[in-house]
Amino acid sequence: MIRLENVTVAYGSRVILEEIDLEIPTGKTMVILGESGSGKTTILKCVLGTLHPVKGRVLANGQDISTLNESDLLRFRQRMGMVFQEGALFDSLTVGENVAFWLWEHTSLSDEEVETRVRTLLRFVGLENSIDFKPSDLSGGMRRRVAIARAMAAEDPAFMLYDEPTTGLDPFTSKSICDLMRRVQREFTTTNIVVTHDLTDAYRVGDLFTFIKDAKIIATGSRQDIEHSHDPFIKTFLSLDS
Amino acid sequence: MIDPLQFTRGILGTVQNFTLMVFRAFRYMMVHFRVRESLLEMDRLGVGSIPIVFLANLFAGLDMALQFSVVMAPYGATNLLGKVVATSVIRDMGPVLASLVMSARVTAGITSELGMMATTQQIEALLVMGVDPVDRLVAPKILAGMVMLPVLSVVGDFLGVLAGLAVAMFGAHVPAPLYWSGVRTALTLPNLVNGIAKPFVFGFILVSIGCYYGLRTTGGAQGVGRSTTKAVVYAAIWILVANFLISKLLIDVWGWKL
Ligand SMILES: Nc1ncnc2c1ncn2[C@@H]1O[C@H](COP(=O)(O)OP(=O)(O)OP(=O)(O)O)[C@@H](O)[C@H]1O
Ligand SMILES: [Mg+2]
Repeated sequence: MIRLENVTVAYGSRVILEEIDLEIPTGKTMVILGESGSGKTTILKCVLGTLHPVKGRVLANGQDISTLNESDLLRFRQRMGMVFQEGALFDSLTVGENVAFWLWEHTSLSDEEVETRVRTLLRFVGLENSIDFKPSDLSGGMRRRVAIARAMAAEDPAFMLYDEPTTGLDPFTSKSICDLMRRVQREFTTTNIVVTHDLTDAYRVGDLFTFIKDAKIIATGSRQDIEHSHDPFIKTFLSLDS
Repeated sequence: MIDPLQFTRGILGTVQNFTLMVFRAFRYMMVHFRVRESLLEMDRLGVGSIPIVFLANLFAGLDMALQFSVVMAPYGATNLLGKVVATSVIRDMGPVLASLVMSARVTAGITSELGMMATTQQIEALLVMGVDPVDRLVAPKILAGMVMLPVLSVVGDFLGVLAGLAVAMFGAHVPAPLYWSGVRTALTLPNLVNGIAKPFVFGFILVSIGCYYGLRTTGGAQGVGRSTTKAVVYAAIWILVANFLISKLLIDVWGWKL
């Protein structure tokens, strides 16, 4: 379970998030929707602990992240997978090495064992043949899929965060990535947060939905709750997409 | 207008953050030493730099011997050429020149590499995967710098002395054996300590400054350029500052002996 309590984030005097409360039950996927620049990525950063809120706290399975020191935070993140908006693959490493990275760093598996696991993960995302490619030789969609494989490499991921995993991809690739995210959720019972602009994809992967606007959460709930909302912003958002 | 208070606070902040990074890096070197990454960094940093250090020291050695022989010839002191050239090469020119050339290559390389990683969220990805970038990236680089700079500097010294020999023989008509015996008298303990301690410190300076500004890069490609320029300039200045301080310190320790 991930819970944000009263979280406020500000850069200088500019308030990005104001008193956000959000709860994602274990094994569920929360989709965060909102305009560009509304602070969606910022929420993910708070959950990762790379950004500290000026007020409020973030709990992951009951653990208050802000009380962890640097090295506990590093340990805590080992059970967390994050797919960045642009993939953020290590461009000096090959696809296989990117996926192997977590295993190299945190396990003492032999080279053969690592390779087996990397191949399994890459097969899972349909990229086993690209194992020796460099990230720069891949298309955007392929890079996103490698990023997902890398995020899953943790032996037993508990939390998965996706920052706009399907933006800028064709409908087929988008759908296959959504299916992939669903499969990860089923297989590992992960608690997920997905940031997206795309309503179709949101409905594909989400159990719960949250809208943010002007630094605040304006609605949160199931698909029915959202669709029956009377908020003009949400109505417009939903109508524009369909 | 620069606000003096803010300016001071900025400097103190930089010093503090830099020191923290360096301490973290050294702690990681002690706690779990990364053999593979360190060797890789040594290879990248050192082997590729041999040609430029070679060239820089060759021409600087030629020129210095030439200037010295012009100054010394009227006093009939060219028989001392070997000692003078070797002393200045070992004590000052070799380490400083190697380090300055290396700061153009290595500091710039490190800053832009880490800066690129920072602006494309790769540093964040490392953190998210539970790996401290100081551990994985900075510590092996700093170690490589402190090991490889002395090595390169000794290679450079040798070439500088050899270039001096060429000038001595063909320009100042000093016989080679005389030159070499002069060189041999320059191989004293203070000189050698000087010649090893300096590049050791310079190696640390030029890598750690590069890492510091690289990791703190923001603002896309333009930001990478800005950080790189800053890092190279600061590295060069601090190398020269450290050079003077070490010279002074060692002279205080050993007195005016050569
Ligand atoms: N380091 C920073 N310094 C100052 N402001 C920042 C910083 N990082 C982000 N912001 C601001 O915070 C706001 C929210 O940014 P965030 O990246 O969370 O948006 P987002 O909802 O993810 O947008 P997008 O959909 O375009 O990715 C933006 O208006 C941005 O200008
Ligand atoms: Mg974003």
